Amino acid sequence: MGAFVDAWRRLRALVRRQEIEDRLDDEMRFHVEQQIEKNSRAGMAPDEARRQALIRFGGVEQARERTRDEFRAARLETLARDVRYGLRSLRRHPAFSAMAVLSLAIGIGANAAIFGVVRAVLFPDSPLTQLETLVNVYETEGGRGFNPVSHANIEDLRKGTTDVFSGIAASTFAPAPIDRGGEVAYVMGEAVTGGAFALLGVEPLLGRAIQREDDIARGGHPVVMLSHGYWQRAFGADPHVVGRTLRMGGRNYTIIGVAPPNYRGGIPALTPAFFVPIAMVEELMGVELLDRRDYHSFFARARLAPGVTRAQAEHAASVVAASLTTARPEGWVPGERFAFVPTSDVHVYPALDPLLRAAALLLMGVVGLVLLLACTNLASFLLARVLDRRKEVAVRRALGATRGALVRQSLIESALLGLAGTAAGLVLALGLLRLLLSIDLPLPFGMKLDLHFGVDAKALFDWRVLTLTAATGVVAGGLLGLVSAVQGTRADLGSALQVGSRGSDAPGPLRWRNALVIVQIAMSLVLLVGAGMFLRSWQQMLAVDPGFGRAPTSIVSLWTPVARLTPEEAMQRTRRILARLRAQPGVEAAGLAWPLPLEFSSSGTDFTLEGHVPPSGREAFHAERMIVDGGFFDAAGMTIVSGRTFNEADRPGTRPVAVISQAMARRYWPDGDAVGRVIHRPDLGEDDLVVVGVASDINVRSLGEPPRDVVYETYSQRPRLPMFHFVARASDPERISLALITAAREVDSSVQAFQSMTMAQHLAMSRLPSQMGAFMLSAFGAMAMALAAIGVYGLVRYTVAMRTREVGIRMALGANAAGIARLLATSGLRLVLVGGAIGVAASLLAARFLATLLFGIGAFDPVTLTGALLVLGVATWLAAYLPARRASRADPLTALRTE
Amino acid sequence: MAAKDRSDVLQGTLDMLVLRALQLEPMHGWGITERIEQWSEHVLQLGQGTLYPALYRLERQDFIRSEWRVTDNNRRARYYSLTARGRKYLNESLEKWRRMSRAINLVLDAVN
Repeated sequence: MGAFVDAWRRLRALVRRQEIEDRLDDEMRFHVEQQIEKNSRAGMAPDEARRQALIRFGGVEQARERTRDEFRAARLETLARDVRYGLRSLRRHPAFSAMAVLSLAIGIGANAAIFGVVRAVLFPDSPLTQLETLVNVYETEGGRGFNPVSHANIEDLRKGTTDVFSGIAASTFAPAPIDRGGEVAYVMGEAVTGGAFALLGVEPLLGRAIQREDDIARGGHPVVMLSHGYWQRAFGADPHVVGRTLRMGGRNYTIIGVAPPNYRGGIPALTPAFFVPIAMVEELMGVELLDRRDYHSFFARARLAPGVTRAQAEHAASVVAASLTTARPEGWVPGERFAFVPTSDVHVYPALDPLLRAAALLLMGVVGLVLLLACTNLASFLLARVLDRRKEVAVRRALGATRGALVRQSLIESALLGLAGTAAGLVLALGLLRLLLSIDLPLPFGMKLDLHFGVDAKALFDWRVLTLTAATGVVAGGLLGLVSAVQGTRADLGSALQVGSRGSDAPGPLRWRNALVIVQIAMSLVLLVGAGMFLRSWQQMLAVDPGFGRAPTSIVSLWTPVARLTPEEAMQRTRRILARLRAQPGVEAAGLAWPLPLEFSSSGTDFTLEGHVPPSGREAFHAERMIVDGGFFDAAGMTIVSGRTFNEADRPGTRPVAVISQAMARRYWPDGDAVGRVIHRPDLGEDDLVVVGVASDINVRSLGEPPRDVVYETYSQRPRLPMFHFVARASDPERISLALITAAREVDSSVQAFQSMTMAQHLAMSRLPSQMGAFMLSAFGAMAMALAAIGVYGLVRYTVAMRTREVGIRMALGANAAGIARLLATSGLRLVLVGGAIGVAASLLAARFLATLLFGIGAFDPVTLTGALLVLGVATWLAAYLPARRASRADPLTALRTE
Repeated sequence: MAAKDRSDVLQGTLDMLVLRALQLEPMHGWGITERIEQWSEHVLQLGQGTLYPALYRLERQDFIRSEWRVTDNNRRARYYSLTARGRKYLNESLEKWRRMSRAINLVLDAVN
C-alpha cells in the first residue's frame, strides 16, 4: 500500500508545514553557531566571528527560501507531471477515454437531473419562517382523507381558536380574466386571507403584502399582489410596477407588491400568477362561495400561539367541530372534524405525498442503478488499462518507480476522467431537465403540473446534488480502479515482463472485470424489464374503454357569472348557450357536465334508500355525483339503458330527478325496476331525487376501475353553478372549439372560456402517470442498456486486442474470418448469458414491487421479459460482435507481428 | 560573489558528494560541509543555500533519512544517514562518475 503511505506523508507535510519550518530554523541556527564557534577558535573576536559566519554562508533567509522551495515545489511538480502524463495517456487511447467519460456523464447527468427534480418537488425552498409553529389545516371525515376546508368553516374555526392560534391563513383558487390592452387571458390566481403574508413570515420583494385591512369589506378593496413569475412574464420585471393597475374581471386592481421568487402561495402544486384578498374573490369570479360550507376549496395554514402545543390546538378545534355537528349547518357532515398536519411534514399534499415519495424513491433507485452501472464501467476501463499496461508497469518498476507512484498515476487518470465526466454530465443534466420541463402536460387552466417546478431548468439545478453525485461516481469508480490497480501492480516483475502485453494469464484482474460486466448486464436487464412493464401498462391503458368519449369530441369549459341572476335566469341562459352550440355547423351532439368524468376533482353525494341498510358505522350510502344536462349522455357517447334522460320539463320548482349509473341500478334494484324509485338525501340543502333513467357505466375516477355508483343531476335544477364543461361531438373537434366559444359569447358576452381541449387530450391526462412512468423508465432503461453495451464492447475489444497474435496464428493456419469472429465474441456473450440469468431472477423480484404501480399486467409478464431479453441480447451481441469481426478481418501477417 | 563561487558544484555531483560524505557515519548538516571541505582540501565549500535544499530533496527521494540527536558537546542537531536506496544510488552514481571522468580524462589527455 505504498500509495497510502505516500499520500499520508504528503498530507502530513501539508498539515505539518509549520513543523518543517521549525526544523529548518533549528538546523540553520545550529549550523551558523557551529561556524561562529569555529571562527572564535580561529581567534576572531565574537562579533567578527558572527559577521564572518553570516557572510560566509550567504543570506540565511535566502537559504531558507530555497530549501522551502524544495519541499513545496516537489509536491506540485510531481502532481503536474502526473497530470501531464495522465492527459497524454488518455489522449493516446481516445476510444477508451471517450467511453469512460460518456459512461460517467450518463450516470452523473441522470442523477443530477432526477435528484434536482426530487429535491425541488419534495423539499422546495420556502420563505416561511418558524415552520415548527405552523400547521396545515384540513377537514377530515371519520379520520379518512385530508380535504380542503370551506371558508365558512375556517371562519368558525378562527373564532373558536383565538386562544391557541395567533392566526389562520387561507388560500383558494381565483381564476380571472385579465385584460391587458384589449387582450383577455385567463390566468390562475390565488385569493388569500389579509395578513397571511405577515403571519407566514413572507416578505414581499417589492411594495407591500396583502394586509388585514385589505380583506375586510367584500368587494371593497381591489388590490393585487403579483407573483414573481407573473411579474417577470407579464411585466418584464418592471421595478416600478407598484402603483400601476391591472384590469381583472372588469375592474381595475391596484398593484401593491410583488411576492418573493421562492413563495408559491398556499395552494398545493400551483404557482398562482397573482394574489388578491379573499374579500375580492366573489366579485372577481362572479360567484358566491365564501358563505357556502360545501365549497371545500380553501387551503389553510395556522400559526400556533407562543407556548401552545399541537395537542392543545387540536382539542380547541374539536370543540369547534362538535358545536358545528350540533348546529348541523348545511354541508357539514356529522363526524367531520379538523385535522392538523405540521407544515414541515407536508411535501405537496398529505394525500398525494406517499405516492410522490414512492415515485421519488423509485426514480432515485433507478438513477442510482444507472450511476452504479457507470461506476462499474469506469472501474472496468481502469482495470483494462492496468492490464494493458502490465508490461509498461513492469518496465517502469524495474527502472525504480515505486508502486505508490504507479498507483498514484492510476488515480490521477481516474480523477481526470471524473472531471471530464462531470463536465459532460452537467451538460447532460441541463438537457434532461429542459426536456422534462418542456413536456407539454395536458393540464387545465394552462397551469403546468408545476409541483413547484418553477420555469427554469437552471433553477432546478442543484450544485450540491451535482457535487455529491460526481463525488460518489468518481470515488466509487476510483476505488474500484484502485483495487484493480493495486492488483495489477502486485505481479512480480519477472513474470510480467515475460508474459508481455498478452496478459493472458492474469486471472485475478480479468475475473474482476468479468464480474463487473455480469453485474452490469443483470442490472440493465432489471431496468429494461421495469421500463417494459410501464410501457405495457400504458399500452393496456390505451386499450381501456372508459365508457365515454370514444367519438371525436370537443370540450370547452365556460365560466358564466351567475351571482346577479335568479335561478330561472341562470338556467335560461345556459339553455340558450346549449341550443346555440347544437346549432353550430359540424356539431353532432352537445351537452354539459360538471365535473367531467376522469377529472382530478370529483364530487359525491350521500343518500339512503328504502329497504336498504347502510354499511355498519355509516348513516348513508355514498355515490359519485355529476351535474349534467339531458344532452350530455348522447354527446359523450353513452347510452340510456332504461327510462329517459333529462328534458325541458325538469326545471327549478319541479320535482328533482336523477339518472343513475347501471352499476348502481344493478346493485340496489337487481330486478331492473330502478326507474321511479326515490333517493333520499340526509344532507341539508340536498333534495330527494326521483330516478327517471339509467345510463351506461363509465370510468369516473380512474381508467379501468370497476363500475361505480353514479348519481347524475340536471343543471336546470341546480342552476347557480358558474362553470360547466360543454361537450360537443364533432368530426373535427380541434378546429371547432374556437367557433363554440365565439358562439357562446354571442349569447352572452360575459361568458369566458377558461379551457378548451379535445376528449382525446382529456383522456390522455388520466393516462399521464403511467405514461410518465413509461417514458422515464424507458429513458433510463435505454441509458442502462447503453452503459452495459459499452461495457461489453470494451471488454470484447480488450480481449480481442490481447489475442491479436493468437488470431494471426489461427488465420495463418487457415481459420476463416467468421469462425474467428465467433470465437472472439463468445467470451463476451458468455458473460451476457450469465448476467442475463441473474437479471431475470432479479427483475422477477423487482417486478413484484412494481406491480402495485402498474395497470392491467401482473408481476410476471412474459411479454415484457422476452422483449427485454431480446433487446438486451441484440445490443450486447452487436457490442461483442463488432470488435470481434473487425479483428477477424485483420491481415494475419500484421497480427502476427504485433508486440 | 564568493558564496556563488563556492556553490558552483554540478547538480548531480552535489547529491553524490553529500551521499559520499554520509557513507561512513550519520552526520548533521554542519558536519557534512566540514567533511567535504576537508576532503576537498578546502576547494569545495558548501553554503547553506546549497546544502539544505539538497538534503531535503535527497530525503524526499528516500536516499537519506534524518532524526534529532545530541552532539558530543550536548547540542541538539539533526543527523542525516544513508538509506539502503541511497547507498545503492551512491554506488551507481560513483560507478557512472568514474566511467565518465575516466572518459573525459582520456579525451583531455589524448591531446598531449
